[in-house]
Amino acid sequence: MMPILSILIFLPLIFALVIAVLPQHYTTYFKWITLGVTGVELVLCSYLYFSFDKTALSYQFQEQLDWITLPLGALGVGSIDYLLGIDGISLPMVLLAGIVMFVGAISSFEIKDKQRGYFGLYLLLTGSVIGCFVALDMFLFYLFFEFMLLPMYFLIGIWGGPRKEYASIKFFIYTLVGSLFILLVMIGLYLSVIDPVETAVQMGLIMDKSQVTPELITQIQQLLAEGKILPEQLVHTFDLRFMADAANFVGDSWLHKAAEVAMGDFSIRAIAFLLLIAGFAIKLPAIPVHTWLPDAHVEAPTPVSVVLAGILLKIGGYGFLRIAYPIFPEQATHYASLIACIGAVSIVYGAYNALAMKDLKKMIAYSSVSHMGFVMLGVASITSQGVNGAVYQMFSHGILSAMLFLLVGVLYSRTHDRQIDSYQGLASKMPVYTGFVALTFFASLGLPAFSGFIGEFFTLAGAFNTPLLPKWITVLGAFGIVLGAGYFLWTLQRMFFGNFWSKYELSLLPDLNVREKIMLFPLAILAIAFGIFPQLLLDVTNETVSQFLTLFV
Amino acid sequence: MNAIIALSLSGIASLFLGFSTNRKNLLITTLLFVLVALGLNLADWNHEYFWFNNMLKTDNLSINFSSVILLSTALVVAISRSFGDDEEHTHPAEYYAIMLFAAAGALMMVTYENMIMLFVGLEILSVSMYILTGSDKRNLRSNEAALKYFLMGAFATGILLFGVALVYGATGSFNIHGIGEVVSRTKKGMELFEGGVILYAGIILIFIGLLFKVSAAPFHFWTPDVYEGAPTIFTTFMSTVVKTAGVAAMYRLLSISFPAVYGLWGNPLVWITCLTLIVGNITAVYQQSFKRMLAYSSISHAGYLLITILAKTPNTNGSILFYSLAYSIATISAFAVLMIVSENKPKDGKPDESFEALNGLSVNNPFLAFVLTVSMLSLAGIPLTAGFFGKFFIFTDAFSNVSPLFKNILVVAILMSAVGVYYYFKPIIAVYMKKGEIAEIQLPLIYKITLIITTALTIILGIAPDLVKNMF
Repeated sequence: MMPILSILIFLPLIFALVIAVLPQHYTTYFKWITLGVTGVELVLCSYLYFSFDKTALSYQFQEQLDWITLPLGALGVGSIDYLLGIDGISLPMVLLAGIVMFVGAISSFEIKDKQRGYFGLYLLLTGSVIGCFVALDMFLFYLFFEFMLLPMYFLIGIWGGPRKEYASIKFFIYTLVGSLFILLVMIGLYLSVIDPVETAVQMGLIMDKSQVTPELITQIQQLLAEGKILPEQLVHTFDLRFMADAANFVGDSWLHKAAEVAMGDFSIRAIAFLLLIAGFAIKLPAIPVHTWLPDAHVEAPTPVSVVLAGILLKIGGYGFLRIAYPIFPEQATHYASLIACIGAVSIVYGAYNALAMKDLKKMIAYSSVSHMGFVMLGVASITSQGVNGAVYQMFSHGILSAMLFLLVGVLYSRTHDRQIDSYQGLASKMPVYTGFVALTFFASLGLPAFSGFIGEFFTLAGAFNTPLLPKWITVLGAFGIVLGAGYFLWTLQRMFFGNFWSKYELSLLPDLNVREKIMLFPLAILAIAFGIFPQLLLDVTNETVSQFLTLFV
Repeated sequence: MNAIIALSLSGIASLFLGFSTNRKNLLITTLLFVLVALGLNLADWNHEYFWFNNMLKTDNLSINFSSVILLSTALVVAISRSFGDDEEHTHPAEYYAIMLFAAAGALMMVTYENMIMLFVGLEILSVSMYILTGSDKRNLRSNEAALKYFLMGAFATGILLFGVALVYGATGSFNIHGIGEVVSRTKKGMELFEGGVILYAGIILIFIGLLFKVSAAPFHFWTPDVYEGAPTIFTTFMSTVVKTAGVAAMYRLLSISFPAVYGLWGNPLVWITCLTLIVGNITAVYQQSFKRMLAYSSISHAGYLLITILAKTPNTNGSILFYSLAYSIATISAFAVLMIVSENKPKDGKPDESFEALNGLSVNNPFLAFVLTVSMLSLAGIPLTAGFFGKFFIFTDAFSNVSPLFKNILVVAILMSAVGVYYYFKPIIAVYMKKGEIAEIQLPLIYKITLIITTALTIILGIAPDLVKNMF
C-alpha cells in the first residue's frame, strides 16, 4: 500500500528543497511548482476522503516507524515513533488543509519579490501543517506544531505590511509560549505513560511487535497496575493512542489518576490539563490571548492570511480534541463550564470588536475570534452534537475565512487601502465581487443553507443539551450570532450599497479577474454544498466522535 | 589522557613553528595537532586508567567531555584564519600555542581525580585565557577586559583553592573518591561531625570558584565586558571550551564527592540556577551589541546546564554532554558569522558588532544568513535543531526529579525560554527583514567548511539526537 500520509507530508518538503536549489533563471516556475504540488496534495486529500472507511473505529492509513530510542537509565527506555494515521476528526482537517493550501497557492501568484524564499517557505508550511494533523505520536505532533511557526514567521515577517516585524515576533512569541506549556505536559505524560506492546517485547513475553494480542496488552496493563514490571523494562512512549488509555499510566507517576502530587488547590492532572488548554487556546485563539491574531492578519499578505485563518487556527481546536480531552477526560468534564465560558466570551467579545473595526481585514480577523469561540463551546459540551458541530464549524470556518480574506485581498491588491470608510456603493461598479462578498458574509453570519449555519447550530444545540453547562453560557454564545449578523450586514451596507463613492478612481477598481474567480468559485460551491448536505462531513466524523465520547462516561 | 601529553607537546612545537613565515601552515598544523589529540583521546574509549599516582583518571565520561572540548577547539582553530596579517596580530604561533595549552588545561579539568589537578588545570586554562583576552594589545577594551578577567579570575581561583584546603582539612583527602567516601560515611553516622562546618564552608567556596568560571549569576559580572573586549575568536573559545570544562569539572566533583550532602549544595544551587536564567535572559533582551547579547546568552545557557547537574538523574551525563555539544556548535557558528561580518564593515576603525551590522545580510550572503539563522534557532531551542533536543533532555531530567524545588526551576526555565526567543530572533530580523548594504563576503575555504560542518551537525542532531545521545 502507498504511504499516502507520508507522501502528503514529504512531497511539499522535497519540493521546498527543490525550489531552494534551483538556479535563479527558473524563478518564474516557482509558483507553478507550488501550485502543482498543492494540487497533487489536494487530489491525495480527496482520495483519502473518498476511500475513508466511515464505519471503522480505529485509525486508518496508519504508518509506523521507530524513530528515536533513548535509554533513560533507571526509568526504562524512551521511544519516539514516526506514527501517522487519521480518523474522523483529523480527516476533515486534512481535507481542509488540502483545499486551503491549494487556494492559497493560487492567491500567492500576486507575490512578486523574493519568490524563491516565499514559495519554498509556503511548501514547508504545507508539509508541516498536514504533518500536524496526521501525527499520532505526541512528539511528532509537537515537532510539526512548533516547526510550523518558522515558515509562518518568515512569511509574515518578510512579505508583510509596514509593522511586519512587530506582528511576526508577537505571533511567534505568543504561540511559542503556548507550545512550551504543551512541551511541559508532554514531558510529564511521556514519563507517565508506557507502550504496552514495546514493554512486552522488552520483557521478553513476545519476540516481535507483530505478535501482540489484545489479551497480552490487558495482561501487561494488569501487571503495570500491580507494579510488577521492573522500572528498567518500561518503555515510555509519546503514542497518543496509548496516552488516551488510563490503564497505561505507571502507578506512581506524576500524571496517574491516583497521583497525589498537587500544587496548592490544583491536582497535578488539573494543572496539566489547563496548561494544554492554555497552549491550544493561544493558537485558537481565545480571549484573552487572542491579541496576536489581528496584528498578524493585518500585516500578513493575503495568501498568508488565508492560510493562517483557514488552517492554522484549526490546530488549536484539533489539539483540544486529539490531545487535551482524550488524555484528561475527567478534567475536561470538571472544567467544562470554564472552557465553555471562555468560548462564549470569545464569541461575544470578538463580535463586539468586529463591530468597532474600521479596517476590513481587522474586522474579519475579529470575526475569526468570534467564530472559533463556537468551537470551544461545542467541544466543552462533550455531547455528540457539540463535538460534531465543533469539527463542522472548524471545517466551515476554514472555507469561509479563506474566502473572506481572499475578498479583502482583492480590494487591497487594487488600492492598498482596506478602510471601510474609503468605499461606498461598490455594488454598482463591481457586481461580481459584491455577489461573492454578499454570499460569503451571509454564509459566515450563519444563514441556513450555508455551512456556517450547520456548525453554529450543532455547537449551540450540543451546549444546550448538556448537563455540564449552565444555560446562560449558551444563551450568551447564541447572542453572538445576532452581533455577527450586525457587523457583517452593516459592513455590507456601508461599503457596497448606496451610491458609488470612493477615495480612488474608478479605473483602479475593476471587477474580479479570472484568477480571482477561479479561487473563489469552488470555495463558494463548497460553502453551499456543505450547508445543504451536512452528512458529507457528519458521516465521516460521527463514528469517531461517538468513540471519543465513550471516554467521558 | 595521552591527549593531554600530546597537546602539551604540540603546544611547545607550535611555538617553534613561529619561525616559519607562512601563516597558512600554522593553522593547518595546529588543526592537525588538535585532531591527533582527539584521536588519542578516543583511543582510550572503554579503558579506565589512573594516571600519575591517581592524579588523573580517564573513564568514558571524561573521554566524552574531552571529545566535546577538542571538537570545539578544532572548530575554533579552523575559523581563526591565522589571525589575519595586520600589525595587531604579529604572533600567531604564540596564540595557537596558548590555545593548545588552554585545551590541555581544560582536559585536565574533566579528567582530574585529585583536587590539586583540578586547581592546576583550572589555572592553566585561566592564565591562557587572560593572555588571549588581552592579545589585541592596542585596543583599550581588550586591555580592560584582560585586566578585569585576571583580577576577578585570580580571586575566584583563590577562593576555590581555599575551599579545597578546607575540604582537605575536614576529610583528610585530596582524592575526590576519597572525599566522597568520608563525606558519605560521616553523613550516615551523624548530621554534623567534627569539622562539619569546615567541610560545608569548603564546599561552598569551591562552588563559588567554579560558578565563576561557568559565569553563573551572581558571579557573572565579568562575562559581558570580557566577552566584548576579547578578540572575537577568543570569545568563541571562551564561551565554548571554558564553559564545557567548567560545567564538567563541577559535575564531576558534585556527583562523585558530594552526592551525600545534596541537601546542602542543592538548595543554594536551585536559587543560583533560577537567578542565572533570569539575569542572563532578561539582560540579553536589552543589548544593542550582538556580541554582548551572546555573552548574556552564554550566561543563560550556564543556567540550563546547572539544571541538569541539579537534577541528579542517571541521564544527567548524556544531557550535559548533548547540551554542551549543541550549545558549542551553535555558538561557534554564531561567533564565526559575527566575526566575519563585523570585520567587513568597520565603524570608527573597529569592527561593528551591533545588530545593525547584520542588516540585509541575506541579500548578498544567503549562506551566512542561513548559518546564522540555524544557530540562533538552535540556541533558542526551536525543533529540528540540536538545541531543541538539548532543552528537551534537560526538561525531562528536571521532571524526573520529584523535589518540589524543581517546580520553581521548571517554571522559570520555561518562561525564560520564551524570553530567549525574543532576543535570538533579533539577528534573524536584522538579517532578513531590515534593509542594509553588505557586499558579498569572500569566505576562506576552511572557514566555509567549518560553517557547513557546524550547521549540518546542528540540523542532524536535531533530527536524530540518538546518534550521539546514546553514545554518552
